[in-house]
Amino acid sequence: MVRRLLLLLALLLFVPPARAQNPADIANDLPAAVVEQQISVSSDYRGSFITVFGHNPDRRGRGDIVVVVRGPNVSTVVMRKRREFGLWINGDPVRFAGAPSFFAVLSNRPLPEIASAQLIRRYELDPAASARLESGTGSADPSAYRAALVRLRFAQGLYRWYVGPPTPERRSGLSTYPGGLFLGVVRLPANAPIAQYHADAYMFRDGRLISAQRIPVSVSRVGIERRIHDLATTQSFLYGVVTVLLALFFGWIAALLFRRT
Amino acid sequence: MIYLPIAEMPVNVLLVLLVSGAVGFVSGLVGVGGGFIMTPSLIFLGVPAPVAVATGASQIAATSFSGIMTQTRRKAVDWRMGALLSVGGIVGSASGVALFERLLRLGQLDLIISLLYLFLLAGVGYLMTAESYAVWRGRTHRGVSILRRPARTIAHTLPLRMPFPRSGLYISIIPPLALGFAVGALAAIMGIGGGFILIPAMIYLLRMPTNVVIGTSLFQVLIVASLVVILQSTATQTVDLVLAAILMAGGVIGAQFGARVGAGLRNETIRGLLGLILLAASVKFLWDIVVEPEERFVLGGGLW
Repeated sequence: MVRRLLLLLALLLFVPPARAQNPADIANDLPAAVVEQQISVSSDYRGSFITVFGHNPDRRGRGDIVVVVRGPNVSTVVMRKRREFGLWINGDPVRFAGAPSFFAVLSNRPLPEIASAQLIRRYELDPAASARLESGTGSADPSAYRAALVRLRFAQGLYRWYVGPPTPERRSGLSTYPGGLFLGVVRLPANAPIAQYHADAYMFRDGRLISAQRIPVSVSRVGIERRIHDLATTQSFLYGVVTVLLALFFGWIAALLFRRT
Repeated sequence: MIYLPIAEMPVNVLLVLLVSGAVGFVSGLVGVGGGFIMTPSLIFLGVPAPVAVATGASQIAATSFSGIMTQTRRKAVDWRMGALLSVGGIVGSASGVALFERLLRLGQLDLIISLLYLFLLAGVGYLMTAESYAVWRGRTHRGVSILRRPARTIAHTLPLRMPFPRSGLYISIIPPLALGFAVGALAAIMGIGGGFILIPAMIYLLRMPTNVVIGTSLFQVLIVASLVVILQSTATQTVDLVLAAILMAGGVIGAQFGARVGAGLRNETIRGLLGLILLAASVKFLWDIVVEPEERFVLGGGLW
């Protein structure tokens, strides 16, 4: 008995610290995994899909599943156009210290029915809740900017929310199967940034978060794409020179080819 | 479809080849660089504006180099004048790239680019349309009188004069340096070569003979465009090598075909048509910044 207790204690001590958005009272033990943990971007890349599957441990099949795929948070500026001298110019910037560069949330029924607005904010389950304002932002009304940020990123295809299973028109969605299996598919558009992503699966019951799981998904360049990008970022001067030499080569070839006539 | 490593988006190779070929064709037809059509076309295709501007410069370098090879054979390049213009251009484009980066951070880059294009397209479009209209009306004598070089300008009276044997000039070095600077700065900000500003200025301000004007301006454009490519790739890392290669291929081929077709066509008609297109494009730029936008908010601050 004592040995068992000691073992339990050791296990507890070795549990990694919970993430900021998942307080300590939530177990990170929801059985879930991602099919595409490594997404490679080569020259024929046209976007991808992220498939998250897992199992709802509730024996009686109660509870709701929410799956969120997040891109890294980046600082973002939203500006409001205002009229000056008859021209519409960008003004009144509001800076978000961190807003997700990609955000897709899947749920088996509408989020407000699954969790309270408070919990949605706390666990950052919708994109508006995930954008953090920079402290000391001026007097401008931030909620309008927050809404605008979501609207603009939605228009770019980078913020998405899906309720229920996929339909013939869209492949993104969350399906739940008898026995507790769930399967979420998120379309990652080609303009989504190349970065480290995270897929989070959450299980709610009676409006409370019961357990969760976080799975990293890395999107990275491979082959020639990688070599070009590495050259451009680490050897940017050499990269510029190579581009110019290529230009001279093309110009020379063209002048040679069309010399006659 | 091919994925662009820097622009981080897939594009249709055939479409971009077609667009760059068409732009090259028009530029060969009319005898302008084409950068001021290429950059807006790329933006229209969805390429982020900073990438379009920076990458467009590499295509300009390719086209101007192929032009210089032809002009050198005709001994139509005033190297000394070209070197002076280039010195001004190097300083100008360096300042331009710095300004570009600053505007990008301030979130005002698109407004400045729109305004500059508005004035530039309207100005050039008006000149072309007016000129071809005058020719069409039969007042050809005016066209001839424009090309006659008056004896003296400010370039002849300023200090620091030196001889330019190939152009047959003895003028101050200040106007070429200043002109090079202005065009270099514009080239860096707008992604243009600047030939269509340089050429009139060289004729009217510096009084250079028309036969060396094109070759010499190409030389300056080549130097400045090459420098802009290197500066942009180090300062903003917005040059996309894959996009550049497609643009160059389409651009140089289109330009050669355009030049050949242009030789057998009435020049005034083509210039007049292009002038009208440019005027229409400038109206579009004006419309975008004058009419109240549907979406009042924009994303800015370096990330597109």
